[in-house]
Amino acid sequence: MKTSHSAWQRLVVAARQVPVATEETAPYGFSTRVSALAMAIERPSLSSSLNHFSWRALGFSLMLMIVSIAANYSSVTAVAENEQDLTDPIEDILILT
Amino acid sequence: MSDDVDTAIDLVACLERVRAGNQLAARELVEHLHPLVIRIVRAHLPRRVAEEDLAQEVFMKVFTRIGQYQGAVPFPHWVSRIAVTTCIDHLRAQKRRPEFRWADLSENEADVLDAVLTSENDVSANDALAARELVAKLLEQLKPDDRLVIQMLDLEQKTLVEISQLTGWSTTLIKVRAFRARRKLQKLFEQLQKKERS
Repeated sequence: MKTSHSAWQRLVVAARQVPVATEETAPYGFSTRVSALAMAIERPSLSSSLNHFSWRALGFSLMLMIVSIAANYSSVTAVAENEQDLTDPIEDILILT
Repeated sequence: MSDDVDTAIDLVACLERVRAGNQLAARELVEHLHPLVIRIVRAHLPRRVAEEDLAQEVFMKVFTRIGQYQGAVPFPHWVSRIAVTTCIDHLRAQKRRPEFRWADLSENEADVLDAVLTSENDVSANDALAARELVAKLLEQLKPDDRLVIQMLDLEQKTLVEISQLTGWSTTLIKVRAFRARRKLQKLFEQLQKKERS
């Protein structure tokens, strides 16, 4: 472990001797370009945010509706079938008269 | 680190003007923060990415999120954290080299590696450039977060507190990442020693 650690340390000590680039001021035109781009960014307005969220909410509610129909489909059809078996009281009265 | 950046211009007033959409203030801010951003970008620049492009990306993020800045940390620290995370994102996107091999090294780099593995002598100043390239190749084997920590600690010789200010990570997390990185480097050296220039 000590050998590997010292090998890395010696390597790093040597690597640090390489002079780093000292020019740190922004290149010509950089700040103008970046600031112009930054100011051109369209910040979302309240109405557009609401519009965006309402579409998402609509999509989500549609998905929820489909899922709930799919989950309850069997029970809905079973109730419908049971209702068909029941006799219609009005029809009974009409037959009797 | 941040004091010289803070005092050069009136940051609070400048930020107010930028928020109001003043392009001149935005330009002033870019010129003022460029040295800080470019230092971070240069130190953690992924392969095949131009430093100017990455610096521009950092500044665009700064301007997009400037409304979120609450003043909890000094503004230069807030900017440096954006720069660090942008660099990490790019390093993550870059494919890591699958394996570190002797065959991938130049003759100079292989000589330097041989020297540090087999002898206790220091690497000569003439081989500094090769050593730097070698260090960069070894760092490419680490996870981006670990790489960033070990680079700041060992190459840039920053303190734990300075790294914490720049990254927003706790000193404990930095220590853990440094430990993980050193262990991985140690394994790499052991593997290389076993293979020893076949």
